[in-house]
Amino acid sequence: MMKQILLPLLLLAGSAAQAQQPAAPATVIAVPPLTSPDSGTKGNQMLQVGWEATQLIVADLGSTAEFAPLRPSRDDYYSYPEVTAPMFGKWRSAGAKILVTGFVQNRSDGRLTFGCYVYDVEKGRELARKGFVLTPGEWRRAAHRCSGVAYKAIVGTPGAFDSRIAYVAETGVGDARMRRVAVMDSDGYNHRFLTAGGSMALTPRLSPKGDRVAYVSFTGDKPNVRVIDLGSGQERPLIPADSISFAPRYSPDGSRILFSMMLGSNSDIYLVNADGGLPQRLTTSPGVDTDPSFSPDGSKIVFESDRGGSQQLYMMNADGSGERRISFGNGSYASPEWSPDGQWIAFAHRGADGKRIGVLKADGTGGALLTSGPADEGPSWAPSSREILFQRASGVGRSGLYRIALGGGEPRQVAVPQNASDPDWSGVAE
Amino acid sequence: MPNRFLWLSAIVLVATTASAQLPGLRRYTPADNARRPAPAVPLLGIEALRADFAAQSGGTTVYFTSDTAVLSPPARTVLSAQAAWLRRHPEVVARIEGYGDGGDTRDHALAVGARRAAEARNYLLLLGVPAAQVSITSWGKERPGLGRAVTILVS
Repeated sequence: MMKQILLPLLLLAGSAAQAQQPAAPATVIAVPPLTSPDSGTKGNQMLQVGWEATQLIVADLGSTAEFAPLRPSRDDYYSYPEVTAPMFGKWRSAGAKILVTGFVQNRSDGRLTFGCYVYDVEKGRELARKGFVLTPGEWRRAAHRCSGVAYKAIVGTPGAFDSRIAYVAETGVGDARMRRVAVMDSDGYNHRFLTAGGSMALTPRLSPKGDRVAYVSFTGDKPNVRVIDLGSGQERPLIPADSISFAPRYSPDGSRILFSMMLGSNSDIYLVNADGGLPQRLTTSPGVDTDPSFSPDGSKIVFESDRGGSQQLYMMNADGSGERRISFGNGSYASPEWSPDGQWIAFAHRGADGKRIGVLKADGTGGALLTSGPADEGPSWAPSSREILFQRASGVGRSGLYRIALGGGEPRQVAVPQNASDPDWSGVAE
Repeated sequence: MPNRFLWLSAIVLVATTASAQLPGLRRYTPADNARRPAPAVPLLGIEALRADFAAQSGGTTVYFTSDTAVLSPPARTVLSAQAAWLRRHPEVVARIEGYGDGGDTRDHALAVGARRAAEARNYLLLLGVPAAQVSITSWGKERPGLGRAVTILVS
């Protein structure tokens, strides 16, 4: 048993996931400038918005492993009738396999209608279409959603484009290091700080709708879970703050929060309504049980425990029954997170070569380490289930956010204004 | 008459402000008076109490081996002395701050720090220190001072 799991872990590190889910070569995709049915001054304004959105869609799709977009040119005017009746022959000879067209239309109420169409160029047929009505200020969001329509039509899973990332922004050194919860769009726009920095903040977790953040605050010099409402900016303790609580994570429907709480010298996993109330205790082992994460259907929970001597991953039913260990390799396994598609569990692995990010299949087989370490932790899935966001420390007080594809390869750094840790990637906003 | 009243108020104000700034003086609520005897050593400031506590206990800090919360014999010696001191000073409130290990993952380190603090507190309670006199917290791996539990006098 031991050897069967260890072998892929050691020999195929970084490529086992790829072997199981072969990465197809990037699909060439054409995105001509979004056009507009409007005329005159309004029409020109809509074409301008359309061009900005086109560039963003191209950037979105180009940021994925699956797509290689053709470079769009503003001079290639695209007519409105062509949106729904493309000239496939022209795109075939340009080498495109997929075509994304669209338009921006001004509405009488001042908002804009964004139309988005996806075509299979070779077969000459439509794959998907979707319309969005948003304010002019939300054009980035419309473009991200259009990218998502294209991604989902081809890849099958939701794209990560219209989503948010919460993380901890860090400045200063030693006891004076300031750590604040920050949130931004997944492309780095709309960055803002949610906490003032008067007391230390750790491990922010977005609600599935992206409207709340649960995190660990050191108000009163004691770690305790608090919840921020992003709309109102209001903040409250999840449970009465006289106990030590940490490691919060939302249920898939956002109605409940899993977390760890100390009772004496024992850390166990609890479940409580997102609006507060009496927590339900799910684990009772004398070890440290923490970092719980729901399966996307809400029926199971994966968590870490050192009940067997070292940190390992365990699984149980949502009511705390049926606990069983699922990780058996060398070293210790921590911080599990279930992928949104339900197939994978990401984790941080601690071994002789430091801390690295890895994945297991949800049934506990097929372990693989994706990153090289030596100080990687805090994995969080992209909404696509095809990438993992994590933190990498690169020296005392220096850390950043990186993303790595499930197929392995070089991690790419995510641009943020300060040192950063504890990333959490939300689902796709609807 | 209004003048005299003003002067009187000013004097009362100065007096209360001055007394509030005197080191070691704390305001007792009726509940405090009912529960606690007067301090054996009167009017010691918190800094002086901390120095005395550290000197008499052989240190404020106990150390743990990696990833454990087991109290070693030297740790028990320090905690025994801390317990004796805290029993002599029932008016002083203490907090034990536990730290995890640097190589650990964040949440496990928080739990390990809390566990170390809890084990140290349990030992103090075993030796007769009232539960209400000692609280715990954990800094995980988030602050310098890894692998230990530190007893801090807070008031």
